[in-house]
Parts: sequence; structure tokens; C-alpha cells
Amino acid sequence: MRSIVLDNEAVQALADPHSAKHRGVVAHLAGAASRRRRGRVVTAVVPTAVRVEAAWDRTAPSAAAINRFPVRDHTLDPPAADVAAQIQRATSTGVADAHIGATVRSLSSTDVVVLTSDPAEIAAVCSSARVTIVNV
Amino acid sequence: MDALEALDEMNRLLGSTDGETVNTSMRLPVALRDAAALAVAQFGAAPSTTTMTAAALRHALETLVMETSLRLHYEQHPTAEPTLGEVALALAAQDGSPLADRPDLIANAAVAVAARRADADADDVLLWAEAQLEVLA
Repeated sequence: MRSIVLDNEAVQALADPHSAKHRGVVAHLAGAASRRRRGRVVTAVVPTAVRVEAAWDRTAPSAAAINRFPVRDHTLDPPAADVAAQIQRATSTGVADAHIGATVRSLSSTDVVVLTSDPAEIAAVCSSARVTIVNV
Repeated sequence: MDALEALDEMNRLLGSTDGETVNTSMRLPVALRDAAALAVAQFGAAPSTTTMTAAALRHALETLVMETSLRLHYEQHPTAEPTLGEVALALAAQDGSPLADRPDLIANAAVAVAARRADADADDVLLWAEAQLEVLA
């Protein structure tokens, strides 16, 4: 099972068809769909703190298009908040990236991929987890 | 309900965390049910045939939603549709494959594979490119 985690930049690119990075991020989702056709379980997730940073309000009419992509929320519940706080304290990173680190640690997937524009930052918040970091 | 509304509703339903269950009148071929029961009992394929059936149904529906959302997006934004080679390159990056550093090889493989198989997918391209890499090594 593979989980693809989106960071702020990946969300911004996915939300804007005119972004120079839009097609690249869509290619990752198309790859996920292709693998699913072959029977693999591949899901896309977005930490909710990343949604805040990206101003992705699922109830806003302007979000109708991006909402159609099956990208599931990974909520910042109390246990995730504790882990994110530990990451934030250790790395002095932002809340959204800390939540990415907490998300990566909590996913049950055997294979976690993070789509990001800041591989170094993601490597820092995911330091103890096995993850493939893809620069978008 | 049009296609977009149906997709939105399917997304909402599939994303729901409501664990309520229901007995359905869905009819299954007896042989399929019996084969599933054996798979569960003898090979531990799933905790139960119900779990197995629900997981298979979820996988099929989520795949349909993913494919449909992309197809409808391409209809609205044709320039957003990646080529076969671009999808293969994305998968190579996700896989952590050395092919991710060879977009030229993947692009050529995509052309070669598509010329031979109209229904080729990105993994066909990666297999072809990997073979080319072996040959060139």
C-alpha cells in the first residue's frame, strides 16, 4: 500500500490549472490511478494543517474542482498534534510541515511518498520515518 | 444528477467516516461466495468474506472516482493531461527508481511502447525503460 502525501506547494499546484507545476502533480495522481488499475492500493492524503496553509476550504465554491480529486484529509487530532509539536520543537519548522511529519509517522502504509517543493524541510520533519521525497 | 454531481457525492460517501453498516439485498453468485469463503478460511485472505467484499468494492469505486476525476479534469483543461511518459516519470520518482533521473530514456520508451501497444500504461513504459537501461549498461 502506498500513500502519497501532498505539501502546500503540491496542493497549490493541483488547485491551479495554470500553475507551471500543475501538470506534474496531476501526473503523480494519474500514476496512482494507473497503479490502482493494476490492483495496487494507492491513496492520496493531505494533512489538514497543510490545507490551512494552502487556504483549501473544502466548503468554498472555488474548491469544487480540487475537491473532486480523491485526496483524503489526515486530521490533526490530539495524538497527531502531540507528535507534530515534538517535531516542531525539534526542527523549528512550521505547523503544516510538522503535521506532514506526524502524518508520515502515523500512516500504516508500507510505502509513503511526499510531494513537496522543499525536500530538505520534509527530510527534516520525517527524519525517523521511511519515506520517498519527490520534488515537484 | 450530472456526472460532476455524481462524482462529488461519491467522493463524499467514500470519504465518510460513518461506520454504520447495513444488510443489503445484493445477490452474489453462489460459487463466488463459496470461493470467497474458502479464500478466507483456508488462506486468510481477509478477516471475513464481508470484509473482503467491502474492500474489493471500495477499491473498485475509489479507482473509478480517481480515473473519472482525472478524465473530467482533462476535458476541462486539456493542457493539464500528462503524457504517458510524464506519468511513467512520476511513478519512477515515487518508486525511488534511478529511472527518475533519465527522463530522456523514459520519453523514448513511452514512444516505443505506445507504438506497439495502444493500451500500454506507465508501468509498461518503466519495464521497457528498465530493460533498455540493462542493455545499455
